[in-house]
Amino acid sequence: MCASFVTRRAVVKGGLAAAAAQFPRPFVVTARAADTVKIGLDNPLTGTYAAPGKNELIGCQLALDEINAKGGVLGRMAELISEDSTSGDAGTAVQKARKLIDGDHVDFLLGNVNSALSLAMAQVSNEKGILHIVPGGHTDAVTGASCHWNVFRVCNMTQMEANAVAASLVKEYGKNFYYITPDYAFGHTLEDGMVRAIKALGGTRVGGDLTPLGSTDFSAVLIKAQAANPDVIVFLTQGEDMINALKQAVQFGLQDRIHLAGAQQELEPLEGLPPEARIGTWVMEWYWNQPGVPHVDAFVDAIKKRTGRVPTARNWFGYVSGWTCALAAAKANSLKAVDMAKALQDFHLPPEIALGPNPAFYRAGQNQLMATLFVGNAQAKGEADDDLFKVTKTVAGADAAGTVEDSGCKMTWPA
Amino acid sequence: MTQLLLFNVFNGLIVGAFYALMALGLSLILNLSGIINFAHGGFLALGAYLAYTLIPWIGFWGALIVAPLLTAALGLVVERVLIRPLYGGDPLYSLLLTFGLAYIFEDLSRLVWGAQGLPFAVPRWLTTPLSSQFFFLTGYRLFMIAIVAVAVGGLFAILGYTRLGMRIRAGTRDLDTVATLGVNTRLLRSLNFGLGIYIAGLAGVLAAGLLGLSPTIGSSLIMPSFVAIIVGGLGSLLGTLLGGLLIGVASGLTAVFLPAAQEAIIYVMMGLVLLARPRGLLGEEGRLH
Repeated sequence: MCASFVTRRAVVKGGLAAAAAQFPRPFVVTARAADTVKIGLDNPLTGTYAAPGKNELIGCQLALDEINAKGGVLGRMAELISEDSTSGDAGTAVQKARKLIDGDHVDFLLGNVNSALSLAMAQVSNEKGILHIVPGGHTDAVTGASCHWNVFRVCNMTQMEANAVAASLVKEYGKNFYYITPDYAFGHTLEDGMVRAIKALGGTRVGGDLTPLGSTDFSAVLIKAQAANPDVIVFLTQGEDMINALKQAVQFGLQDRIHLAGAQQELEPLEGLPPEARIGTWVMEWYWNQPGVPHVDAFVDAIKKRTGRVPTARNWFGYVSGWTCALAAAKANSLKAVDMAKALQDFHLPPEIALGPNPAFYRAGQNQLMATLFVGNAQAKGEADDDLFKVTKTVAGADAAGTVEDSGCKMTWPA
Repeated sequence: MTQLLLFNVFNGLIVGAFYALMALGLSLILNLSGIINFAHGGFLALGAYLAYTLIPWIGFWGALIVAPLLTAALGLVVERVLIRPLYGGDPLYSLLLTFGLAYIFEDLSRLVWGAQGLPFAVPRWLTTPLSSQFFFLTGYRLFMIAIVAVAVGGLFAILGYTRLGMRIRAGTRDLDTVATLGVNTRLLRSLNFGLGIYIAGLAGVLAAGLLGLSPTIGSSLIMPSFVAIIVGGLGSLLGTLLGGLLIGVASGLTAVFLPAAQEAIIYVMMGLVLLARPRGLLGEEGRLH
């Protein structure tokens, strides 16, 4: 008597099908229209690098909203298509890059947080002749030995970070250094860079260990590091590895005997550490608390509106990457990758995008952004909430970068 | 060098005890119900995040008690709704289900608590070294060992001396016979699952004090637990305990000579055990065949 046309099973199946249908879609699509200029972001949204990947996405979205509010790219609205590259699977990152280029016909490719994935994606973008911006993959090769005419990088080369911090460490803390280094492309080049920079200043490497990416337990290597009796333990780990390593080092009380330091530090891991473990000397690639530098406050407010927190360097990387696409197209008055790449040679970012005390420009012949490096110390609490870093010195990117020849980049342009 | 080796053996025992705690929960569920619970790491992360959320209200000690209980309650719901229909079926189904659940848990914690690491603080007096010579013996690590000892002791006491424990042990040997004797095996499996998940939640709270609290905390810790079970032997909780301690020490000693291989060594050990003694050190022959 109570005939039912829809069974419970059918509802469940329908619900599941609807849920499944969500998956093949790109994660975020904004301002979709037929004649949009498409920017494809292929960056981690899951795994170890989910946090930096998401923050770059937020910065990029802000840039696109601003670009569209100002009339878009060459009069067309800009659209962001974001894909999850995963944190460490080069196969997936490359497949997503091909999907963005061949399937979505993007005009620009952005990514990746992971150095190795950046290099893999750069091969694809070069083969396809697409303008590619690497927001935050640091290994030197991206704009060094493996540089390509179409690949530009916003974050620093690892050597720049090493050069920026080395002098402070040798001068203030001693000459014997022990390294805890993540065992992949980024870690290797960063350690090489640090060893080179410190050796030039008279310091020595008394020991070091490579730790697998995603390590949870650092106690054994910390015991070894302590036994080597160095003046400084240099932590080159990143993200969650940085949190795990520093948290355990501080629980061991190592900071009372040995100075803890490193090259690259980010706001994300500092926020993830308990206050007592926010210590050490580091380099930040961008910092939000820059009194007196114009336009920074407006950027801080804009990001705060979206996330409720102050911007991190990753937000800025994403922001600069998004804006670079629009600025390159405007300067070249074209969406042809070669024209835009040529327009970006020695191109200076306007101050409202550069957001630092020094000029920021893409160095010609290498496509590497020369911005500002912020050297200083992590702090438990600063003047404001989230002010977890005390900047003691700023270094102009060009002063820390060496020459284009040093980088090993030999750029060849398409005929 | 001798001192370095000794330090690392002790340190390895501490780390291994923690692996063993996680593995015991897994082992408990696997032994009675034949469920290979890949979502164990997800429950562990949930325990840690619940503790983080509760600490401002009830403090670290309150959270240490309440968070694992809440995790176990959720475990009971998951068991009732999702896992129960798969009992008696091909273990592959439950493996696939829990594998999917692990991803769902990870992404849910990312959605609720954010992708970024959170500052999980434990009482300051626990996180200082007890002596400058044995600096790796911090209050927190000894506290962890104590908790592991109490949890393991409690678990073995429950299994050895309570009616529930006897039924779990009997069910582990032959569930059908236990059922024909009038024991409610559904309830037995539920309670056993809840107990296993309680241990996962407890391990989660302890892990968050030592590591960064992020959505991947569970997935990064789950593999050593599986290895501990395989090395120790399926079907034997004592074997699981031994397996955990062994891989902890092996990993610690490897770190002295070749730190890059400190994770690989536990898989090498697993391979060697599987080659030389496929049932594991204390395992029973023919489990899960």
